[in-house]
Amino acid sequence: MQADQKSRASLKEIDGSKAALDEHAITAIIDPQENIRAQFAAIVESSDDAIISKTLDGIITSWNRGAEKIFGYPAQECIGQSMLMLFPPERVAEEAEILARIKQGEKVDHFETVRVTKSGKLIDVSVTLSPMRNDQGRIIGASKIARDITGRKQMEDARRASEARYRMLFEYAPDGIVVVDSKGYYLDANASICRMLGYARDEFIGLNATDIVAPAEIPHIGEALDVIKNKSDYRREWQFRRKDGSIFAVDTIATAMPCGKLLAVIRDITERKRAAEALAESQALYHSLVDQMPAGVFRKDAEGRYAFVNSFFCRIRNSTPEQFLGKLPGELPVSEAQFFSQAASHHVQIMQTGQPIEVQDEYHGVDGRTLFFHVVKSPVFAPDGKIIGSQGVLFDVTTHKHAEDEVRRLNAELEQRVIKRTAELEAANQELEAFSYSVSHDLRAPLRAINGFAGIVLEDFGSQLPEEGKRHLERIRDGGRQMGVLIDDLLAFSQLSRQLVNRQKINTAKLVQNVLEELKPQLDGRRIEIKIGELPACHGDPALLKQVWVNLISNAVKYTRGREPAIIEIGCAPENNEDVYFVRDNGAGFDMQYADKLFGVFQRLHSADEFEGTGVGLAIVQRIIHRHGGRVWAEAKVNRGATFYFTIEGGNKS
Amino acid sequence: MNTETRSIKNILLVEDDMRDVELTMAALEEHHLANKVEIVHDGAEALDYLYHRGNFKTRAPGNPVVVLLDNKMPKVSGLEVLKIMKGDERLKLIPVVVLTSSRETPDLLEFYKHGVNAYVVKPVDFSEFMKAVRQVGVFWAAVNEPPPDTGTEATSIPSG
Repeated sequence: MQADQKSRASLKEIDGSKAALDEHAITAIIDPQENIRAQFAAIVESSDDAIISKTLDGIITSWNRGAEKIFGYPAQECIGQSMLMLFPPERVAEEAEILARIKQGEKVDHFETVRVTKSGKLIDVSVTLSPMRNDQGRIIGASKIARDITGRKQMEDARRASEARYRMLFEYAPDGIVVVDSKGYYLDANASICRMLGYARDEFIGLNATDIVAPAEIPHIGEALDVIKNKSDYRREWQFRRKDGSIFAVDTIATAMPCGKLLAVIRDITERKRAAEALAESQALYHSLVDQMPAGVFRKDAEGRYAFVNSFFCRIRNSTPEQFLGKLPGELPVSEAQFFSQAASHHVQIMQTGQPIEVQDEYHGVDGRTLFFHVVKSPVFAPDGKIIGSQGVLFDVTTHKHAEDEVRRLNAELEQRVIKRTAELEAANQELEAFSYSVSHDLRAPLRAINGFAGIVLEDFGSQLPEEGKRHLERIRDGGRQMGVLIDDLLAFSQLSRQLVNRQKINTAKLVQNVLEELKPQLDGRRIEIKIGELPACHGDPALLKQVWVNLISNAVKYTRGREPAIIEIGCAPENNEDVYFVRDNGAGFDMQYADKLFGVFQRLHSADEFEGTGVGLAIVQRIIHRHGGRVWAEAKVNRGATFYFTIEGGNKS
Repeated sequence: MNTETRSIKNILLVEDDMRDVELTMAALEEHHLANKVEIVHDGAEALDYLYHRGNFKTRAPGNPVVVLLDNKMPKVSGLEVLKIMKGDERLKLIPVVVLTSSRETPDLLEFYKHGVNAYVVKPVDFSEFMKAVRQVGVFWAAVNEPPPDTGTEATSIPSG
């Protein structure tokens, strides 16, 4: 203050003299008073601020180097000029105001305004004006110190902009950011953390960490604060509690700021947690599936070392994963190496070709059993397509194989049995044939003798024999003749079992017509009405089925003897999707209680005196129908006729 | 049988059953063919006769005009006799009629396959039997024209 006054005094001395303000003029002052003044003048001159004096009219009276530097005008261009030369037009009014205040003796302190330089550039200045008084204390002018604050202003603006920017970063950071004091109270918080927790910022600020962590986590807060206060970063996953009480997981990292407060960045990791859990679950599922799989699974790295083996794989050798992991097949115990004899070469092949390999492997198990495996090996690809190892699955097909062997064995056995049975059957057939042959040949010869010699006796000695003797001989011949017929029928019947059934399509209607044609001699002299219904075609052996129709129709003809007229119906009645052929007559019929005897060989329900026959005809019918997979049956009433029905398997609808 | 002194007969009857021989002869007699029948009782004898061997070494030369051949006989069967005859250039032209009890199809086929000239099933019934044998005898011994060298001396005797 004292210096100010002295400076003011010295300036008063030079008032009105332009020359006095010249540097040289100032330094030329030599008296003690002048010496002090000179010192002030030197100070003024060396100041970077513009130091200017002016009259109450605003005329510049002094102008230092600082002024020249700031405004661009040298002293000689300004002294005597109006101060207004430094004012931008829109600020001219300021001068009158300033001068008015100066006249009042007021000081204008650090008035920030804008002035214009010689080059016309606008600059920010901070101006301090003080009234200048003469010795009498009258105000005669003003001193003005102006500082170019353009740089400072720019810095300030930059700082402000930067602050706003950082605030924005803070505010809009997707992670929550909080400033916490050393006791855990929140001093500041960004939008993200507020959103995360469901608080308005105003509500949030002032809360304590204990308010927002899950109750179980509260004990950890002290520890966290301690660590951070010791200038260490503290990272932890927390369970946070929202305003609505719901709990969620966050990952936080907190650090101490130079000011001693704590800064924490908080990230909601609910999704990450969920993804991690899903991954863990999926891995657990995969692992349990692979491990529980009833097949051996392994994986090898590029070198061929076991990187993974599942339980089943280990069980095959009654060992543990540790015995395999990290080892090459050659490094396994000898027995293992033998088991995996092809393991190394397969691995090399897969690594080279990238092609899968499928093999059947045989292995002598620890318990001495031979096990069979179906093995599928394939390459393991990295995401970039490079082959980084091999993997394989071993299916134990031992049971399967044994079953196969068993089937093969049974088949062979069966075949053997079939061969044996066939041979037996052939032998039986041969025996039967020999028997038939013998019957055919050997039984006939003596019969022929009986008949023949009885005939010769009758012819040659008939006249010498009494009537009774001749009658007896006739009986012998009749018996012999009947026995011949029996033998022939029996042979025909036995031949049926040996004859092959040669199936083909048969026009039944035509077949029946032919049969009736052949039976014509039997119909001679008889009055018989034959009614033929629809007779669908069938599949069967034509010769055999013809025999069936012959036998059934001849029976009908025979057993209607004496009926006037005899009526024979021939037809077919579909029943249950099956063609049932029938032959019906109005003849003698029979008692149904003997129906089961009807189709037996040599079984007769009528005496030979009544109706001749050997009892083989229906047996032949039944055998033929059975050999065609069909059924045959009869319905009848004594003296009311009989109906014979039959079906043929598979032959009906084709 | 004293065959050496006998002259050659026209019919060779090969039959082991004496009753059948008698019945056959009875039937042939009715047409006076019986005295032209040489009877042998099995296939072996038949071959001996045909080849002038054994009992028939010294028989008169010449082949029968027909051989009536039973099938089922001891030692050598009728079928075997037929096979040998039809396989021999000198005997194959002799007509062979099988007279048998068997009506079995396989027998029929075998005989026809080996060139039998007729196959006759001997009926069990007396009158039918007589009729059948008579017809065979008359046809083959009287109606049929035999091949040229029958009834003449055989040119050589086979070794066996």
